[in-house]
Formats: sequence, structure tokens, C-alpha cells
Amino acid sequence: MMERIANHPILGETPKREKITFIYDGKEYEGYKGEPIATALKANGVMTHRYTARTHEPRGVFCAIGRCTDCVMIVDGKPNIRTCITPLEQGMVIETQYGVTAQQ
Amino acid sequence: MKIERYDMIVVGAGPAGLSAAIEAAKQGLKTIVFDENERPGGQLFKQIHKFFGSKEHKAKVRGFKIGEELLEEAHRYGVEVILNATVIGLYPQKEVTVKIGEELRHYKGDAVLVATGASENMVNFEGWTLPGVIGAGAAQTMMNLHHIKPGKKVLMLGSGNVGLVVSFQLMQAGCEVVALADAAPRVGGYGVHAAKVARCGVPFYLSHTIVKAEGTDHVTGVVIGQVGADWNIIPGTEKHFDVDTICLAVGLSPMAQLLKQAEVQMADTKGGYVPVCTKDGATSVPGIYAAGDVSGIEEASSAMIEGRMSGAAIACYLGYMSEGEKNARMKELEAQLDTLRQGMFAPKNRGKLVEKTDEGIAVSMNLLENGFVADDEIERYPGVTHQKGIHPVIECTQNIPCNPCQDACPKGCIRIGKNITSLPAVEGKKECVGCGMCVASCSGQAIFLVKEDVEPGFGEVTLPYEFLPVPEVGERGLALGRDGREVCSCEVTKVSKAPAFDYTNLLTIKVPNEMLMTARFYKKA
Repeated sequence: MMERIANHPILGETPKREKITFIYDGKEYEGYKGEPIATALKANGVMTHRYTARTHEPRGVFCAIGRCTDCVMIVDGKPNIRTCITPLEQGMVIETQYGVTAQQ
Repeated sequence: MKIERYDMIVVGAGPAGLSAAIEAAKQGLKTIVFDENERPGGQLFKQIHKFFGSKEHKAKVRGFKIGEELLEEAHRYGVEVILNATVIGLYPQKEVTVKIGEELRHYKGDAVLVATGASENMVNFEGWTLPGVIGAGAAQTMMNLHHIKPGKKVLMLGSGNVGLVVSFQLMQAGCEVVALADAAPRVGGYGVHAAKVARCGVPFYLSHTIVKAEGTDHVTGVVIGQVGADWNIIPGTEKHFDVDTICLAVGLSPMAQLLKQAEVQMADTKGGYVPVCTKDGATSVPGIYAAGDVSGIEEASSAMIEGRMSGAAIACYLGYMSEGEKNARMKELEAQLDTLRQGMFAPKNRGKLVEKTDEGIAVSMNLLENGFVADDEIERYPGVTHQKGIHPVIECTQNIPCNPCQDACPKGCIRIGKNITSLPAVEGKKECVGCGMCVASCSGQAIFLVKEDVEPGFGEVTLPYEFLPVPEVGERGLALGRDGREVCSCEVTKVSKAPAFDYTNLLTIKVPNEMLMTARFYKKA
């Protein structure tokens, strides 16, 4: 689990946001509407977003701005979604990506 | 196929792109800015520290505030800013293809400015692909935009301004920075940025790099080692740290792919693959311009001026401004840019060891090698004086372009002079009233107020404090030295908060008189 920042010495209190639920690898989790999927996953302790096709190495967030594509996952059935810049929505189904597919 | 036409198309809504669009729109150009991100401002909204420079460079204003001001100005002058819009094609004829959602749209600009910025560099080491190894930019994005800690325990690689600033921001977000390492033998960024990290107790390992990241599914530790003359690790120098995050701040590279696609003449330089352009950003293709980091890595402050220059140049190119008007504006902007490019960190000094300040004072080697000025080095700088009553002690020891402290003092105690890279000097004859405006105005957090003998044997040190929780008056804690080590116990005697301080709280601690020149940070016991 990675702690969210509730109060910041310069930015002040984090604005209140709408809590929603989503499914990650078959289980329900909570996150905030509109935040990057990757942030919601991080808050729930998820570090590994995918495994590479040939050597099955874990990959997670690296650049967090949609450039490196290391954090891609399957979102609502669609693979290769950059979770660091895709906003979380109520009921989203997010799956760990193995190569370019879900686990067989 | 519908093609929309604009006088000027800007790619990138960061500091350079927005500044250019504003400058051009002021002259009446119909201007549109595309940005691939969800929010405008480029990296400005992640910059929560106060900027350097002078008033005209928006010195002592925090980066995200500068971003808000730029956006407001852009809207006021009717600049269209289109977000989530990725420019995927730029042709020499100045046609631009933009992917918005699942659709491709076509635009034609009479002039096009590319202000796409830069991307972060990486380094390879064993385990570098593990989740938990992140870019410094990613850390800023997570903590300053998305309100989540990037990690609990972090090792930072890179002692340039990005590595130093992000290390400090990590601590502000509540993370622990276990160490800062850099393969270079000396700190690359501003000494004042290093000093504020070091005094919090973060050890600096210069001439060290990462041997490996440990962990199977994610980072659980890191091993660093000392690099020898041949850049290999010296056996036996390896050190292990328990960390969950490794942050890489190892430089930036211009993102100039669009310019290459537009058949602009490019050059392979030490600073990356960049377009060949004139001072105002004109490339080899008439009507295509470049500004900001895409044409060479610098600071956001210079990117904003470069953007303004390109905006004026384009306005003139399209006949919205006369040659004479353009030249006058250019002269003004060039002078602003020139002041930022002076001093020890001037582009001409990159990679060089500057051993003496402009004033002829020896630069602190301890600052360059360990991140803090040693107690026996600090006395030689003109901002450090000993006086009877309360007075500022300015630990600004390098020639950097910055002067807000001079204007902040209502009593005229601080003198920098016309050249904003000069070291600030404290004038002994003027009377300090202890208002603390200089302490809060210093973007480098290098100014302290010192007062001897508030009671027999004890004096007070007032220091800038940008952390939570804010200590309370009467609280007892530990005073830390410039090196982050405990020097004595102390009591908090005053906490000042004021809108004019802009979230830099002033903390006053009472320490023995002999610790007044040593105690520089406060830690709760």
C-alpha cells in the first residue's frame, strides 16, 4: 500500500474527490474518479502492471506521463492502455497484461 | 477533408509554447496550441519550489503559480489551447496532423512553433526495469499532481537541479530519502538546492552509481558503489540501502522528432539532437520555429523568454509587427535571457570546475563533494557577518542568477547590485528589524536570521521551514547542522506564517550562542 498525501506543506489539503470502485484481476478495489488508473493501483499496493512476453519480467510505472508505455494493462478488455494517463472510472475492469493479452 | 487554418500553430502547452502563443496573440495572430496531455502547463504544475531569477523572470514565485498565470494570460488574449491532442505529423509545408481521441484532424499554420520540451534520460543497471525504478519526473507527477507518495524509502540518482529539487519535494511529501548518489565527482545543481537537502540529513554519495536494484517483483533494495577513474565500480565500496523506490534524475534529452520529420536541419550536439536555429528560434525551414528545451535543455525561466522571442519573431514574419518593433522587443528579451545565462552555471561553464566566485572567493569544495558548506568555509562569504543584534546570515555561496532577497529587505540590509549573479552581501550599517522577508523570499532557502544573547548564553536562529507538521512554540527538539547531523537540543520559540511568506514558514529556535553559526535545521526529538 502506498500512502496518499492528505495534506501537503505547499499544496495544502488534497481536494475531496468522488470515491468509486473498480475491478483489478477479479477483485474489487476503491479509487478516486478521474485519477490515473496507476495512482489508484499504487494506493492499493499494486506495483506490477504487466509481464513481458518472452522473459516474463515484471514491469510497472516508470515515466508516469504516458511516454514510456511500461505501465500498460488491459482495461475493459482492451490491451496496451497506458494506465498512468488513463482516468479511472466507476466499474472499470483492469487486468494484468501478459505479453499483449490477459493470462490464458 | 476539412483543413483548419491558423496564423500560428504551437505544439506543446508548456512554458515556451504558452509564452510564444501569448506574445503572438497580443499582436493579433490567430493562435492555437496543441498538447498531448490532459492538463496544460508542461512540467510547470509539478514545480512547487520558488523559481530563481529576478522580478521579470517571476523569481520567488512557485512554478505552479507561474503556470496558472501563463494560462490566465493565454485565455485573456484568446489563445486556443487544445488538450489530449497529440501532434503526430509536421510537414515542411506547415501542415499539422493531430490525433484527438480516435480521430485524425488536419491543420495548416502560416507559421508553426515546436515547443515539445524534453524527455528524461535513463541509465541501465541490473534490475533497472523492476517496478519501483522511476524517473524523477514520475515522482513529481505522482506526489505533486496526483497526491500520492512515490515511495516510502527512496534513493535518488543524480545531483543536478532536478535530482536535488525532487529529493527535497519527496521529503515535503513525507517520503524518506535515504541517499543521493551521482557518478560525477561533484554536485551538478545549485549549491543552495543541495544544502537544503543535506541539512535534512540526506547523505550525498558523489562518484557513486547504482550497482543493482534488488527485488524479484518490485524494488526492495539498492546497492551503490564508488566509481573509479575508468568508470567501473571499485570492488569493496558497495553499500546497500533498504528502499522501495529508486528515482532516476540523470538528465533530459530534447524531443525534436517532429522537427526532423519537417525536414528541419538538425545537429547532433552534446546536449542532444536539436534543430539548428537562430536566436529567435527560426529553423532552416521558413515559418517553422523551435523554443524551449526542444532546442537545448535549460530552465523553465529561459524557456519562457525563448518562447516570447519566437512569438515576436513569428508576428514579424507574418507581418503583424514591423521589423523595428520586433528588434526593440527582441533586445528587451535578449537582455532578460542574458542575465539568466550568467554566473557559474552559465551554458559556457557546463562541465567545468569553477573554483572561484566572480568576487574571487574560493568555492566551497565541501559543497560540491558533500552537498553542504563546511563550518570552516562559511565565514568567507559576504552574506555571512557577525553583528550584535538580529541580522541575516546569507549562505549563498555561488554566482547564480537570483536577487529577490535584495528587494525583500525593507531596510536595505542586503546588496546584490545590478549584476544578479553577484553574491548577496549583508550591509553592517543598516538596521535589520528581523521581519524575515529575506528568509521567505530566498528561493534557495539559504537565508537565516541570527540573534545573539536573547538570554544569557543563548541566542536564536530563524530558519525557513516547508514541512509538515509545523512545530509548535515551546516544542523541544534537535538542531541539525549544515551536514544534517545533530548539534544540540533546542526549543522552538516562534513560528511565523504569513501570506507574504507564501507557505515558507519561519521557525525560530533557541540554541546556545556558540551554536548560532552551526544550527541550520530543526528536527522533532
